[in-house]
Amino acid sequence: MFLVFSAVEIVGAILTVTSKKLVRAAFWLLITLITISGIYILLRAEFVALIQILVYAGAVPVLLLFGIMLTRKKMLEESETSEAK
Amino acid sequence: MSGSLLTPNLVGLCRSLTEILLGIVKAIFDALSLPGLGSWFMSPGVVVFFTYLIATLVMVMWAALVNLLSVMWVERKLYSRIQDRRGIMLGVPWPWSKKYKRGMTNLGWGFLQNIADGVKLLQKENITPASADKLLFHAAPAIIVSSTIMVFAVFPFSENFYYTKVALGVLFVLAALSLGPFAIILAGYSSNNKYTLIGGLRAAAMMLSYEIPLILCVVAVVLLSGTLDPFQMVAVQERPLLGTIVPSWNVFSPPQMLGFVIFFIALVAELERIPFDIPEADAELVEGWTTEYGGMRFGFLFGFKWLRAFAGAGLLVILYLGGWNGPVFATFSVLGYPIPILPQEFWFLLKTYLVVMVIIWISWSIPRVRADQVLKIGWNRLIPLALLTILGAAVFKTMGWF
Repeated sequence: MFLVFSAVEIVGAILTVTSKKLVRAAFWLLITLITISGIYILLRAEFVALIQILVYAGAVPVLLLFGIMLTRKKMLEESETSEAK
Repeated sequence: MSGSLLTPNLVGLCRSLTEILLGIVKAIFDALSLPGLGSWFMSPGVVVFFTYLIATLVMVMWAALVNLLSVMWVERKLYSRIQDRRGIMLGVPWPWSKKYKRGMTNLGWGFLQNIADGVKLLQKENITPASADKLLFHAAPAIIVSSTIMVFAVFPFSENFYYTKVALGVLFVLAALSLGPFAIILAGYSSNNKYTLIGGLRAAAMMLSYEIPLILCVVAVVLLSGTLDPFQMVAVQERPLLGTIVPSWNVFSPPQMLGFVIFFIALVAELERIPFDIPEADAELVEGWTTEYGGMRFGFLFGFKWLRAFAGAGLLVILYLGGWNGPVFATFSVLGYPIPILPQEFWFLLKTYLVVMVIIWISWSIPRVRADQVLKIGWNRLIPLALLTILGAAVFKTMGWF
């Protein structure tokens, strides 16, 4: 189980950094954070795991997206035009 | 103060059912003179696997089919009645009744209407917009559906009707429900449509800001009952209130009364019901963030909103309304054995459906709140009041008043 979680987590982390679209990066970040909470459950730290899901997986990617979408409008437009092609 | 229908519990029942079924399979293989295969089916690993398979199926079917359809039916019937009409009432009578000769009748209860709608949605084509972000477009409904089903892994319907007993059950439910906003923002963005993007942003902003008072109210309850375990939370509310026969539910405590109101308002906002349904205001944004979804994918997004409503109402009942205990300590006693008037599951479902009906009642009689007003209510009113609730709960706990 640990190997599965860590493999998914490493792949997710790499895709977070390398993906071109910001929303996709946030999606992979969510997957990484959820697998980290899975590793916490394997370590018998249920409280930390649930707080990890509640705070990190539930709120941080959304705040990140808000930050990106509301402040750097130019990048969003670029990603949308590249999508339209 | 009343017994539970299921003994010993859901998994235990499923285990005996599995043993009976696998016994039949073993008998069949023995009759076919394949004893090795038969005894493999009775080995402990296989029994445990099939037990949990059946228990999962029972829980998912119970939650996602029975209660989802019932909540939808209650909603459609109730808002029709509020609007002074009868609502869905096409029904197929029993084959042996006299009305059957005329085929479909419009005098039924209309319960099969939701199943017919589901079949209709299944037949429709699953359209994916050409310019959509395919991966995220397909991932968003999966996240919403799985996180909502996840709630029912720890959700207790009575002392014995649960799937697993987790010490941090309430936190688990909150964590599972908090995965929703991100999936909504994904759905809104990946559809590549102005309306869905605006709807998704609005939904995420609203749900994020209303999750804070929701969790703060839960903190106040946790302060008072000293546990995150739903079973113990209900057990704490079981003792009588100040020597009367009324049980001491959390609503009757002054700080928790305020917390109850805040929790209820935040819950209605979390569920995107009408006073706070700016994410899918159908006059402004066609159908909000679900606009581009079609077929059963739309059905999932639309139907699981009701399942979230059911789960939220159940959480409200566990936290504030005494869970599966009846309102009065009244049991018959025959020859020394206490006989409950109603089983626990019945009380729990009764209270939960009452809360759902109040939510529906509010949402069909109150106009929509404007977008900036929604955030103002959330941040300026509810969060300070929720902090006040925590303060009051702390004072009551240290003084030992309640």
